[in-house]
Amino acid sequence: MSEIGTSIPNVTVRGPEVPRNIQALDPVFNVSGLSVFYGDYAAVRGVDMVIGNREITAMIGPSGCGKSTVLRCFNRMNDLIPGARAAGKITYHGEDLYGDHVDPIEVRRRIGMVFQKPNPFPKSIYDNIAYGPRVNGRKKGMDGIVEEALTKAALWDEVKDKLKQNALSLSGGQQQRLCIARAIAVRPEVILMDEPCSALDPIATTKIEDLMQELSRDYTIVIVTHNMQQAARVSDRTAFFTAEVDDSGVRHGRLVEYDETSRIFTNPSDKRTEDYITGRFG
Amino acid sequence: MTVLTSIGKAASPGPRQLAGRRRPVRETVFLIALQFSLVIAIAFLAVLLAYVISKGWARLDPRLWENMPSIRRPENAGAQSAIVGTIYLMGLTALFVIPTGVLAAIYLEEYADRDKWYNRLLELNIQNLAGIPSIVYGILGLGIIARVIGLGFGLITGALTLALLVLPVVIISAREAIRAVPPSIREGSLALGATQWQTIYRQVLPSSIPGIATGSILALSRAIGEAAPLVMLGAATFVAFNPESLTDGFTALPLQIYNWIGQSRPEFGVLASSAIVVLLALLLVMNSVAILLRNRYQKRW
Ligand SMILES: Nc1ncnc2c1ncn2[C@@H]1O[C@H](COP(=O)(O)OP(=O)(O)OP(=O)(O)O)[C@@H](O)[C@H]1O
Ligand SMILES: [Mg+2]
Repeated sequence: MSEIGTSIPNVTVRGPEVPRNIQALDPVFNVSGLSVFYGDYAAVRGVDMVIGNREITAMIGPSGCGKSTVLRCFNRMNDLIPGARAAGKITYHGEDLYGDHVDPIEVRRRIGMVFQKPNPFPKSIYDNIAYGPRVNGRKKGMDGIVEEALTKAALWDEVKDKLKQNALSLSGGQQQRLCIARAIAVRPEVILMDEPCSALDPIATTKIEDLMQELSRDYTIVIVTHNMQQAARVSDRTAFFTAEVDDSGVRHGRLVEYDETSRIFTNPSDKRTEDYITGRFG
Repeated sequence: MTVLTSIGKAASPGPRQLAGRRRPVRETVFLIALQFSLVIAIAFLAVLLAYVISKGWARLDPRLWENMPSIRRPENAGAQSAIVGTIYLMGLTALFVIPTGVLAAIYLEEYADRDKWYNRLLELNIQNLAGIPSIVYGILGLGIIARVIGLGFGLITGALTLALLVLPVVIISAREAIRAVPPSIREGSLALGATQWQTIYRQVLPSSIPGIATGSILALSRAIGEAAPLVMLGAATFVAFNPESLTDGFTALPLQIYNWIGQSRPEFGVLASSAIVVLLALLLVMNSVAILLRNRYQKRW
């Protein structure tokens, strides 16, 4: 891990072939004062961040600091956990995500999610992709949707001859790309990814990273990762979380620093961020 | 600790390091005890089967399912009304119990909030209901279904009573099947904008059907052998016609067997044995279907 710190200048931060004007931040999510509770336990406290349109935002930090918890607030997946509750405010294109009028089903349709472990349905490849559009009421033009989603997820060439085959017969990396294709098929605006590469080998990881770069032209992507090179390679902005112990000895997740990825990895303003990315973190 | 030190002493450098210790006496005794209990169970079943087959063999012919029972002429007596009655009873019971049981299981697994006292009470009661003797269900059927609701003493009352009897077992096995579907499948579906019911109907249920089917069949095969609740319901032990409507009187194989065994003439004993073979064959068929289903749809994740 320690070579990350010393080799920071060599880390390619978003190659120059994809020029972007990061400054002009077009907010998709606006998070202010977000705290998330599991029962009485505040897992994360006081998070403020703005997620930019068609950017890749990475969330890094030690295990248990609440990255997944925050990520799951963006598509209201935390609603499914009994006792989980979010306080504070998250707006999505200016609209309160936790407002009374908001239907979580509709939120999840617009904001897709890819999980840490590939979780294809025990159905055919075709049916996996078609599932999302079908539950959202689409009946016609399914072949086109399936092909488009698989093509975007860079999986079409590998599976086009076996669409009727069970998705569980694919390799882990293929399954994860299938899950990305499945998320794309409902035409979301945002894709949330919780450690999407942690179960994959380096080659499959590279493929998914390339895919994320590709997808960021059309989609806003938020990714949780433990792999700091990955955050440095793919993301535009990076949020560093850590767990703090408060006066009564309880651990809470905190957002320490949130900035452009290049700044976080070359010139972090917080000592804790620096310690973490240089591997000095305890 | 003693094990560790003794290994430490024995670990002299040499080719014998991997030889391992001999199996201790305790383990051998335990293994023999296991095998012994298995042998007892199987031997008992084998003796029973051999006995009824050898005894009933003489009457295991088409007369058994072509003729109606008769008390006067054992050589022509059959068990058609009982076989038909049992099959109808099974079909109706399945019709009542499977949808109810599956829906109850879905509620308990997917919707019920386990922190609420009434859900916990419900759960506890279902466990307890599974242990109540079948004769009690017979009393319930007699008192409530036949008298209060007024469905009389026909097929439908019998089927409803048996359905109540096996309902807890169906619920418990369906819950297990539903619980076996990994949460990641539900999350994957919900994350795509599916509603909870869509998730249940399109992902959870299809994945748990083999388990539900297996559990239901096993529960029904318990119902098929029940005589006690049917006796309580006053199901006639001697019926010389097949039931034609839901409220018709009926008889079932266990009752017919019970009736024949009680007769004094030895020919009826033979008849009873052959009817037992038919009942066992039905049971065997049902259980094989259950096993087939289970093997065919092995866990796929
Ligand atoms: N369903 C839950 N119920 C109760 N507490 C939870 C639940 N999920 C997470 N937590 C707690 O919330 C805190 C943050 O967890 P979270 O999963 O968000 O961490 P994370 O940063 O994603 O960690 P990792 O990197 O290991 O995935 C942890 O202390 C955890 O114990
Ligand atoms: Mg996590």
